[in-house]
Amino acid sequence: MPPVAPTTDPRFAEIEGHRPYLLRYALAQLRDAQLAEEAVQECLVAALESLGTFGGKSSLRTWLTSILRFKVIDLQRRAVSERANVPFDEGTEAEDDGWLDDLFDATGHWREPPQAWSNPEAALEQRRFWEAFEKCLDRLPAAGSRVFFKREVLGEDTDAICKDERITPSNCWVILHRARIMLRACLEKNWFGKEATLG
Amino acid sequence: MGDEVNCREASRLLSVAYERRLTAGELGELQSHLDKCFMCRNFDSQLKFLHQASQRFRVKN
Repeated sequence: MPPVAPTTDPRFAEIEGHRPYLLRYALAQLRDAQLAEEAVQECLVAALESLGTFGGKSSLRTWLTSILRFKVIDLQRRAVSERANVPFDEGTEAEDDGWLDDLFDATGHWREPPQAWSNPEAALEQRRFWEAFEKCLDRLPAAGSRVFFKREVLGEDTDAICKDERITPSNCWVILHRARIMLRACLEKNWFGKEATLG
Repeated sequence: MGDEVNCREASRLLSVAYERRLTAGELGELQSHLDKCFMCRNFDSQLKFLHQASQRFRVKN
């Protein structure tokens, strides 16, 4: 019997909708755009083949991520054997405090004070909020995006993240501090602010 | 030191509190800053929201 054509399953489009998230996950682990694409591609193919076994007990995203996790581990093994180490990209090295001077004046006050966001929880129910959220994640420096994703989204241990990134805990904290400030500023500008543009 | 913390330092403490337990001294300084700074209270709420949104992001359908 031929396999079911993927396009006849309404969940095909739904699966595709998770691609950006899955790519972010793969990139956080593999630090290599090409490898990450490969892992996601393999994950989506495997997911389509076994869609029938997805019972809907967990969210579709959780199910897809569990498939991707194995693809990532597999690719990590292959990458390790092929080239001793995937080179780290820019931004993981020690960060100086220069970025803080852009955000705070000489007396340590906010240059652009954080505003009060009205009813932010309601945003979580809106599809376009999540588009803005992803766009803001994309604007972070590579290391910031990776570390924030592992820490806040995946809830990984800070020690494990430091080890992966080969940075000290205090460096990790600086990266997270910066990522959080940039994210909140981006969301304020593009979603919660009075002149929001991304939403 | 003994100086009062400013917004720059308060924002650092508010962030690092998600990674490690703050010392009693840090907590005291932070709280007295938050008591009189609505901007950092806004920032505090926003970090909580980011935390909540990130967790939702992981399991989003």
